[in-house]
Amino acid sequence: MLNAAVTAIAGHLPSRVLSNEELAASFDGWSAEKIFEKTGVRERHIAGPEETAGDLGEAAARRLFEVHGIAPSSIDMLIFCTQAPDYLLPATACILHARLALRGDCGALDYSLGCSGYVYGLALAQGLIMSGSARRVLLVTADTYSKLLHPLDRSVRTLFGDGAAATLVEASVDGRASMGPFVFGTDGRGANNLIVPTGGARRARTAETALETQDASGNIRTLDNLYMNGAEVMAFTLGAVPTVVRQLLERSQLAMEDFDLFVFHQANAFMLERLRRKLAIDAQRFVVAMEHCGNTVSSTIPLALEPLMRAGAGAVAARRAMLVGFGVGYSWAATSIVF
Amino acid sequence: MSAFYEGLAEIFEIEPAAVGPSLVLADHNWDSLAVVSTLALVDECFNCLVEGAALARCERVSDIEALIAAA
Repeated sequence: MLNAAVTAIAGHLPSRVLSNEELAASFDGWSAEKIFEKTGVRERHIAGPEETAGDLGEAAARRLFEVHGIAPSSIDMLIFCTQAPDYLLPATACILHARLALRGDCGALDYSLGCSGYVYGLALAQGLIMSGSARRVLLVTADTYSKLLHPLDRSVRTLFGDGAAATLVEASVDGRASMGPFVFGTDGRGANNLIVPTGGARRARTAETALETQDASGNIRTLDNLYMNGAEVMAFTLGAVPTVVRQLLERSQLAMEDFDLFVFHQANAFMLERLRRKLAIDAQRFVVAMEHCGNTVSSTIPLALEPLMRAGAGAVAARRAMLVGFGVGYSWAATSIVF
Repeated sequence: MSAFYEGLAEIFEIEPAAVGPSLVLADHNWDSLAVVSTLALVDECFNCLVEGAALARCERVSDIEALIAAA
C-alpha cells in the first residue's frame, strides 16, 4: 500500500551563538546557570542582520542534497514553513525554488505556522504523495524569531533561537517506513497569547507602536515585538497535548508502549518535563534536544530527529516515533512516523 | 497539601516550612516565570488547570488555594 515516509533530514543553524553568559549580563539577578535551569538552553544561534529564513532554509536544503546525494531535479514539490518570510510577497518558496534550481514543473508554496508547523508540513506532503501529485516532497522549515524579540525581554530571549531544517518526504515503496495517521487541533481564541501585534495588514508599524513598555516582571517590549503570555501558553499546552496524544493513540490503534521515541516540539525543557511526567513517559524514550539551539519554532522536531535518524541508519529494525507540535495559533498536531 | 507546598518552596527557593496560606507572594519574586511554574505545579499536584491571569493576581498562597478549590 502506498504511503509516504521521512527518508532524510538536514538541519542548519546560523553561525552566531548567543550564550547564557551573554544574556545574563543583560538581565539583573539571572545567572547563566539559572537560565539553563529554568529553560534547558545553554546557547542559541542567531541569524545575522542580513540573514533571512529563506537563507537558512536554502542552506539546510543544500546540505540535505549534498549529504544524502539527492538531485534537486528529483524534487516534485517544495513546501516552505515560516513566520518570517523574506518578503510580504512573493512567497519565499518561489525564491528558494530558483536558488535551489528545482524543476520548472516543481510546485512551491509557503505556509505560516509556528511550533506545530513541522507536523502539518508532513501531513501536506503525505497528502500530495498519496494523491499521486508528487513522489518527492522537500519540506523546509525555517524561522528567525530573534529579529522579533526585544533585547530586554528575558521571557522569550532566553528560549528562542533561529534555525532551519530540510526534510525529504518520499513515496514509501518497501512498506517499512511510513507516517500517519495525523490528528490536528486549532483554537484561535489563544491568538493574542503568542503574537507580534503589528507589521501585518491589521496594524501597521508606527512610531507609536515602537514605544517601549515594561511588564510586571520587568520585561521590556514594544508592540512590534513578539509577546508571549507564558502562563496561558503553559495552560494551553498542558491541556491540549495530552488530549492530542490520546486522540492519536485512538486513531492509530497504538499504545504508548508501541513508540520507541517521543519527539515533541522543544518549547522549553521545563514544559517538556511537565508533559513527560503528565503522560508517564520514561525519560529514555523522551527526546530533549534544545541545550545548544533553544526553541527553533517549526524546526525543533526535525533538528531533534536528524541525529536519531543518522544513529538508526542501517539498523535492522525500524523505529516508531510520536511527533507532537503545539504552539502559536493556538495550533497543534500529532502523528506517528516509522523510520 | 505537602507536595504542593514543597513545590512552592522550590519555586520560591525557600524552606518548605516557610510556606503556608499566609505567605505573601510578592515577597518571593512572584514574576511571570514563578506564575508559569506554579501553574504547572497546580496541574501536577491537583490535576487541574487554573487561569494564568487569575493566578498572576493572587497575593497570598491562600488565594492560590481558593483558585484551586474553585477550579
